[in-house]
Amino acid sequence: MSSVAKVQAKPVINKKPKWQKMGPAGYIALVLVTFLSLFPFYWMFIVASNGTDEISKIPPTLLPGPRFFTVVSHVYEALPQFNQALLNTVYVGTVVAVAQVFFSAIAGFAFAKLNFRGQKFMVLFVILTMMLPSQLGIIPLYMLMGNLGFIDSLNALIIPALVTAFGVFWMRQVIDAQVPNELLESASIDGAGVFRVYWSLVLPIIAQSSFVLGLFSFLATWNDFLWPLLVLQTPEHFTAQVAVNQLKSSYAIDYALNMGGAFLSTAPLIVLFIFVGRRLVRGVMDGAVKG
Amino acid sequence: MSFKMLSLKSTALFSAALLSIGALGAISPAQAVVDCTNATADTDTCTVLTINTFGDVIEPALVSDYKRLHPEIKLSIKKSDLDALNGTGLYTQCAAGGAGSPDIAAVEISYSGFWRSYPQCFIDMRTLHTTVGNKTANDIKKDYLAWRWDQGVGYNDNVIGVPTDVGGLEVAYRWDLFKAKGLPYKRDDVSKAWSTWPKFIEFGKKYMAKVSPADKKKNVGFMDNAATIYAAIMNQGTMKYYKNNGTDAGQLVYKTNPQVKLAFNTTIDAAKAGIGTRIGQFSSDWNVGMSKGTFAVMLSPAWMMDYIKGQAPTTNGKWDIADIPGGGGNQGGSQLTMPIKKAGMPNHKQQAWDFITWYLAPDQQLKVFQIYGLFPSTPSLYKDSDLVGFKDPFFNKAPTGAIYADGVKKLKPIFEGKLQRCIDMAMGSALSLVINGKEKVSTKAFAKGLSDADKCK
Amino acid sequence: MSQTAVSRKTNKPASPWKPAKPPKKLNNPGAVLSLNGKWGYLFTAPFFVMFLIFGLAPIIYSVYIAFFNWDALGTQEFIGIQNFVELVADDRFWNALMNTIDIWLLSTIPMLILSIGLAAILHNPNLRGSTFWRTILLVPNITSVLAIAIVFGQLFGRDFGMVNLVIGALGFEHIDFIQGTTSSHVAIATMIVWRWTGYNALIFLAAMLAIPGELYESASLDGANKWKQFRYVTLPSLRNTITFVLIVGTIGGLQVFAEPLILGGSYNGGDSGQFSTLTLFLFDQAFVAYKWGYAAAVGIMITVIVAIVSFINFVITRRLAGDGK
Repeated sequence: MSSVAKVQAKPVINKKPKWQKMGPAGYIALVLVTFLSLFPFYWMFIVASNGTDEISKIPPTLLPGPRFFTVVSHVYEALPQFNQALLNTVYVGTVVAVAQVFFSAIAGFAFAKLNFRGQKFMVLFVILTMMLPSQLGIIPLYMLMGNLGFIDSLNALIIPALVTAFGVFWMRQVIDAQVPNELLESASIDGAGVFRVYWSLVLPIIAQSSFVLGLFSFLATWNDFLWPLLVLQTPEHFTAQVAVNQLKSSYAIDYALNMGGAFLSTAPLIVLFIFVGRRLVRGVMDGAVKG
Repeated sequence: MSFKMLSLKSTALFSAALLSIGALGAISPAQAVVDCTNATADTDTCTVLTINTFGDVIEPALVSDYKRLHPEIKLSIKKSDLDALNGTGLYTQCAAGGAGSPDIAAVEISYSGFWRSYPQCFIDMRTLHTTVGNKTANDIKKDYLAWRWDQGVGYNDNVIGVPTDVGGLEVAYRWDLFKAKGLPYKRDDVSKAWSTWPKFIEFGKKYMAKVSPADKKKNVGFMDNAATIYAAIMNQGTMKYYKNNGTDAGQLVYKTNPQVKLAFNTTIDAAKAGIGTRIGQFSSDWNVGMSKGTFAVMLSPAWMMDYIKGQAPTTNGKWDIADIPGGGGNQGGSQLTMPIKKAGMPNHKQQAWDFITWYLAPDQQLKVFQIYGLFPSTPSLYKDSDLVGFKDPFFNKAPTGAIYADGVKKLKPIFEGKLQRCIDMAMGSALSLVINGKEKVSTKAFAKGLSDADKCK
Repeated sequence: MSQTAVSRKTNKPASPWKPAKPPKKLNNPGAVLSLNGKWGYLFTAPFFVMFLIFGLAPIIYSVYIAFFNWDALGTQEFIGIQNFVELVADDRFWNALMNTIDIWLLSTIPMLILSIGLAAILHNPNLRGSTFWRTILLVPNITSVLAIAIVFGQLFGRDFGMVNLVIGALGFEHIDFIQGTTSSHVAIATMIVWRWTGYNALIFLAAMLAIPGELYESASLDGANKWKQFRYVTLPSLRNTITFVLIVGTIGGLQVFAEPLILGGSYNGGDSGQFSTLTLFLFDQAFVAYKWGYAAAVGIMITVIVAIVSFINFVITRRLAGDGK
């Protein structure tokens, strides 16, 4: 069983051994997967730009229609606070991402590189808590938020999400694998304090991985909907997912409207992904168990 | 009723709207300057009133009216799915001492019995006074159907909600499709032809006999979903799962009430006769099917008419309304309530009570009926020529006002108990087992429904 | 986001800086001993404080109420283990459990096969545009379950859904995905497979890239064809990764919740509970039946089941790891 490995991909790839040929079948499979991966997004747009009547024709329309901006204006009519909801989501996502990286990295560092009583037990505790279904505590958590006066406030989304067991565990793995003990030892023997070592030696090394953890926290926050649905009341405080659900909830199911909302709430993520997709891929692969 | 006398009662809808706009012109400029459209929290000039609702309980045209009347009030409306609203939402809010409560929450009839048992979760409306007229809940009680009013009275006699509409139940049908299949299609003939549920099923079979095999393959059917018959029959008895024994809680009788078994078995008969398309109500196929003629009949509470108009605008004029088999029936309707709020949250009791009494006053209910078809819970309107004389062009000029008024008058009040919604779901789930062929023996499914209902306690 | 590694801190080369005489017992064998360990308490304190208050305390409170007939708006009565006794006899619980397992199987098996297959294609060193393909694979994973469930709900519609239009065009009868038991599970599993296949393919790809290229070269010299190379070189090296993906998939799979919730639009998991899952049942009991004590008991059962399955996985992992050495 191996540990989280550093990127080992490059040297192997560069060898380009000749023991395998890339046939057309592989490319066909990849094109098919690409199609299947992107089709739901495309379909969102098709429905949002055509309207429900068009897509329930036989055969259905497969091309974008002319009604996209009409549908978008319907979305804003049904929920004038849609832009506000997107901004709220960006705000919550950013705060949560920064906080999670900060708290996870410093705790992960302690768990990986410091020797203190109870360390083993604490790590075990973190791992065990990752198995608990979080829905189990949702009712008491709501009551707690009520007592703190956070209901119907973005604080109710931020405060409970500031730390996660997963983030700490992940950071511990990353620091364990990426930061060589020798480096820290020489620095500390030269007289640097623990915090100094963490700040000027560890942080720069794990910057990439921290960024990836932050991105994943951001995405998870963006996509969460059950908890926000429960605690947010006024449309001005909605997040993107609650806004989309709002469009869904009037009992006239207007698919064009629903998909228009879904499209608008997804588009920012797609744009973000275009910029950071490659890093996310690397992050996922770095964190994988190999062998 | 003085408010009503002063109003524009005798004029038709559009002139009423015109006049109210005219009246606006006369409002002093100082008031017109106030613009709270973008207010998100209370300011010196604006009050944000939060309303949690589902479906179309709060109608947009009336919201615009209120904005004109009260520019200083911003109505902030949040819609949720019914169970999320009346269950999860209200329950967690009350459990947290009113944290996150809206100023106003709609409670649907199926949850009314439940919330009556927790009056401490709501403000007692007898303690509130309207700004204009100084009216408390006791003063407006006489305007509403007594049994609808009682659905908003807590076990401790607190008034926790004021009734919105009455979901009088009739049948919406496509007369053009009936005609094409050589069946009676005029509303009186149709009503006569299906005066009872067995006759309704026979009617459906005749319709199905004329449906081509190709259409059958496309799931074309007589009615949208035979399972809806269950709720209709349940609502036609004198009691459902509870017996009104004079106590607040009532007495659970679902195991012995023959109406439950009758409704269950008739529904299964209808399903086995193959007259339903088995499309789930409020699903995407249902919406599409409504405009495509996939089914010709829907059991239609008054509020459903607006839904049909909205979902199937291309079928304008092809629908009509006939009496429901068995006569009378109620489905749906809500109360507007004011949940308790945690100390420190904005206090809008006055504004909320003013809005509720305005919105649910007979005048506004009449307007809602005329625009959206929701049937009023204020009996003074049932003789009103604007209501009784109302003909809906979308429904082949059917006198929907008169038809629903007749139906509502026939209604026998039914006691809604605490576990109504939960038992309903258990029975519905058992029905679905048979209808979808997962359980062949209907008595077994019935027994399972009853035993699942036991677990609601 | 669940890419974690289960790592053990053994086999590290001894550091030249380590004190000649190690202390009797190290709490953290991988630690840098010249750093003052006491700081560990300070560094982990923010996490523990926040986590205890907002993560663990609510869960512990839930466990407490599992032993009550708990009406949050009314009275609370201690009833011992009666909730658990009733739960074990409740056919709705077993139905939810069977549905959950079925959905888990229907999603996990195809996902494993597809993602390993995809990884094998991406592993080919002669593949052009590999960065592009890898990035595309991750797209489904970043989208919200809500948006995707709206799309899939429409695609799986009985009469006018795209899937059924294709089925109809091929001459078959339309399938009522939502109403059927197996078919609704297929629909839900499809959403899960769609969302996680690419992600897991990247995990497998990372594992494959860690396999020394020499193994393939020697296998190829021995005359092994592509399939044999895959079967006898690649697959055995993936054992631990497969176990890992299975564990993570199991924890997620046993808590599957969002997809069936949005597909059915309510906590009951379909008209006859045909796709009710354990977590949905928890919510149904909490917010439709308002039996918080009972719902909490369901939550504890979920945790126990997850723990048992994870333990089995863990044992298997140990054995596999032992074999490997």
